[in-house]
Amino acid sequence: MSNYIPTIGVEVHVELKTKTKIFSNSTNGYGQMANSLTNVIDLGYPGTLPTLNEEVINLGIKAATILNCKIRKVMHFDRKNYFYPDNPKNYQITQARTPIGYDGYVEINVNGESKKIYIEEMHIEEDTCKSAHRGTKTLLDFNRAGVPLIEIVTKPCISSGEEVKLYLEKLRELLSYGEISDCKIEEGSMRADVNVSIRKNETDPFGTKAEIKNIGSISNAKLGVEKEIERQTKLYDNGETFKPQTRRFDDKIGDTVLMRIKETGNDYRYFPEPDIPFVVLTDEMINNVVETLPMLPDERRKKYQELGISELNANKLVANRPLSDYMNTLLTEKTNHKIASNLLLGDISAYLNRTEKDIKETTLTKERFLELISLLEKETLTSKNLKDILDTVMESDTSIKDIIKEKGIENITDDTEIRNVIKEIISNNPDSVNDYHNGHDRAIKYLMGQVMKETKGKANPKLAMDILTEELN
Amino acid sequence: MKDELSREEVLHVAELARISLTEEEIKKYQVELKKLLNEVEKINDVEGYDDEILIANWDSNAELRKDIAGDMLNPKEVLENAPRHAGNYIEVPVVISDGEGA
Repeated sequence: MSNYIPTIGVEVHVELKTKTKIFSNSTNGYGQMANSLTNVIDLGYPGTLPTLNEEVINLGIKAATILNCKIRKVMHFDRKNYFYPDNPKNYQITQARTPIGYDGYVEINVNGESKKIYIEEMHIEEDTCKSAHRGTKTLLDFNRAGVPLIEIVTKPCISSGEEVKLYLEKLRELLSYGEISDCKIEEGSMRADVNVSIRKNETDPFGTKAEIKNIGSISNAKLGVEKEIERQTKLYDNGETFKPQTRRFDDKIGDTVLMRIKETGNDYRYFPEPDIPFVVLTDEMINNVVETLPMLPDERRKKYQELGISELNANKLVANRPLSDYMNTLLTEKTNHKIASNLLLGDISAYLNRTEKDIKETTLTKERFLELISLLEKETLTSKNLKDILDTVMESDTSIKDIIKEKGIENITDDTEIRNVIKEIISNNPDSVNDYHNGHDRAIKYLMGQVMKETKGKANPKLAMDILTEELN
Repeated sequence: MKDELSREEVLHVAELARISLTEEEIKKYQVELKKLLNEVEKINDVEGYDDEILIANWDSNAELRKDIAGDMLNPKEVLENAPRHAGNYIEVPVVISDGEGA
């Protein structure tokens, strides 16, 4: 097979996390009984009028900000006209001419190098009803009709299935963190369509385009694109051509199949929606919304690494929002953040998984956590002993000092106490001391063992070793 | 200026509207639709016509609705208004192509 240059663009629809629909006050919900979340507006009854949901505009501003888009301050909606049973009004209300965001980008990391995926525009629109085809019938559920959507359209700047995957993962992370959408592909709250064409040289015009729809997962998006590039390559290699077409990804065969040939462009006859006045955004409105954005994943990763947390742990923290939020409460604290991240991702995660709790449901306040870190850092508490007291630390209000005392596992960090024990051991073991001075390494280990035995394992090991070495010399 | 649309233009509009036309109707609409378009085109003669102010007065900002849930229809009421239903779903003749719309 020859090598061609792929040109790929992605269109993503995400459902917004609002309480109500975009143009009506019926509930925006998933997994409910069919046709139970509707009213006359969603069903397109004659004489009804849409009213725009404020939260949709707010989430649009948030998404545009997160995706580094410019925000349009004066916008209107348009009618996209088509006859299809998923939309009984016979038009979808969308933003064709004045998308809320434009000229943005998302940064992905491809083999250690940063690449910007440019966003052409992102616009707000209503979802259609859900249709299921059964033999000679099509079944309609209007619960989804009027659910607010944002469609995000990239420029054709993506060059592989792997990049599509990285872009979708990044988009999902950003929109989830911004609390804009659940981004659950399996529930349809995030849907991706991918346009793929290939050409021989950069200077050639773009090749014929195939659009892949019905992609059920991010890994299928990658696979679908790779299969499509392969299919187009074979055709061109055999001297064949093909018509612009829509294909869908078939889970069962792991490949794309033809849905329809696009003979002509769609004729949607857009015109401005006369039932909704212009939306005019002020700087104040925009700032008020932007202020509510949480710290975004990339900034979190950067901050964590600046505080000495490894890249691996920084990524793991970001992947677990509740733990990352907890970590963020410690950012300005003078503490050992490395120990904090190890604890959160290690013993504390294990505890939370085992008890199916959220960290907020435990008694691990910030103050208690800082105390725990400090005890571990000073080695008053060993990581082994921590395991013995963790459940109590997470479930009771007893002070950590008292918990340690009750369990009798406090490390001896008192110099004099350890020194006295060591002096006694040295005088009781003259043979081992001699061996040590004759260069037998094992002797010091034996003597340390005696120290730990005498202190019932409570001597701070590092301190004990320092004093022992000092006393021996 | 021609005083009628072409046969193809009328058929295209009919297809978008999902209606079939008789030969007689096609001929009739070639003339009638053109008359309608001529009327609409008069807007181009308006002095100072601006596409951007076509729709609404954008000094009056849209009043946005608070995101608070209200009453919904009982599914039974919804289904009563549909010609056919299967369980709680509204039933229509099968639609061949998939994924149109949004």
